Amino acid sequence: MELKGFWTADNTVGIRNRVGVISLSVFSNVATQRISNAVEGTIALIHPHGRAEIGVNRERLHHNLIGHALNPNLQSVLLVGYEAKTTERYTQELRARTKKRIESVTVLELGTIDAVRVGTKLALELSSESSEVTREPMDFADLTVGVKCGSSDATSGIASNPAVGVAVDKIVNHGGKAIFSETTEVLGAEHILAKRAINQVVASKIVTAVKNNENLALSLGVDLMGVNPVPDNIEGGISTIEEKSLGAIRKTGTSKIQDVLQLGQLPKSPGLYFLDYPSAAQEVLTALASTGCQVILFSTGLGNPSGTPVCPVIKVTGNERTMKRIPEHIDVDVSEIITLNRTYEEAGDKIFQYLIKVINGKLTKSELLKHNEFSPVPVGL
Amino acid sequence: MEIWRKLCELDNVAIALRDLDAGSEVLIDGERIVLIDNIRFGHKFAIKPIKSGEKVIKYCEVIGVATRDIHQGEHVHIHNLRSLRAVKVND
Repeated sequence: MELKGFWTADNTVGIRNRVGVISLSVFSNVATQRISNAVEGTIALIHPHGRAEIGVNRERLHHNLIGHALNPNLQSVLLVGYEAKTTERYTQELRARTKKRIESVTVLELGTIDAVRVGTKLALELSSESSEVTREPMDFADLTVGVKCGSSDATSGIASNPAVGVAVDKIVNHGGKAIFSETTEVLGAEHILAKRAINQVVASKIVTAVKNNENLALSLGVDLMGVNPVPDNIEGGISTIEEKSLGAIRKTGTSKIQDVLQLGQLPKSPGLYFLDYPSAAQEVLTALASTGCQVILFSTGLGNPSGTPVCPVIKVTGNERTMKRIPEHIDVDVSEIITLNRTYEEAGDKIFQYLIKVINGKLTKSELLKHNEFSPVPVGL
Repeated sequence: MEIWRKLCELDNVAIALRDLDAGSEVLIDGERIVLIDNIRFGHKFAIKPIKSGEKVIKYCEVIGVATRDIHQGEHVHIHNLRSLRAVKVND
């Protein structure tokens, strides 16, 4: 079971070696996409934000942009900014925090055409350098795995989530780190997770995170009914947020919970962590990638296609019909838990073996289909 | 292949593991239950009568409250079950 990855200048290890071309603003998206299209080995991170965000939205955008630039799957980064001041601020912060090569180009100074010309030359240099890096041995201790579920149905709670939970236990038992999130989808199950906290302080952080989330919904005058579960969950047989949460937490396995992280904090030691963050799937994938995850396990009853620009996402379904209907969204089929009464241990081992292949270079369906969505400012709960 | 599953001993609902027709019979905990509704794959049905206001239990945990009396064998979903969490006080 040998693992091999691409070591970075930060002494972290990526399971992919991409050059990130990161847009800092909606107005630099066009240049970002054109630069990335022009140079092999690069990946574009584009989003409709970066202007006049305030408060928590501004902080989340900042943490997600910085977190992605620091992700070990990126060997180096080209920032494509709109105006000079913000571009300089991000460039300086990153150069202070990483030994990876950070370059930048600014659209308002050069104009889109020349920003693309200058940026393409820089991206070519970066990608040429990163292509020299070869895979070298790594260990589970170098690995952080995100855990997520989305487009859930009733099979998620009884098949794919518990099977992913077995795989998560294996990752933790091998000395790795794992992170789950989606605070809204802990609502109704927080008492179970609190019992798994390493101490009373962490237990209380879990309960408080969920309470704050519930209070936020109430203070906005909204009711989660009709918002979460979402229509596809309801179609799949999930009736309430409690039912969804009780199914969702099964993907976290049985390990002790080491701490509750806020966006911008990285897990320091091995074990399982809870990232307190809103629950929409794409936003959570983005946040997990910003929290150092090199790969994400994603349980989906109905066959969610989402991916990220920097992390491979491994889709697991326990729904036989989904596997037949849209196999191009699914990496691991564990529907035999239902159809043949296979155990969670067998299914969890199948996921774990697949994870090792993906770490060593096998492309996931989300990568093959270029699902490179990046969503750094959540607007929902 | 099982056609239904009761996930935990305290549960008052079970899950259909394939599309089940109204009128079909299932044997759960030694009791013969006739389904009142069509129950689609993944959906829940009551394995005991559940009174309005009574908690609905799955995974041995509370998943919400019955909004009206639910008969044994009846489909349990958003038309007769609602969340107890993040619900507006005047709701």
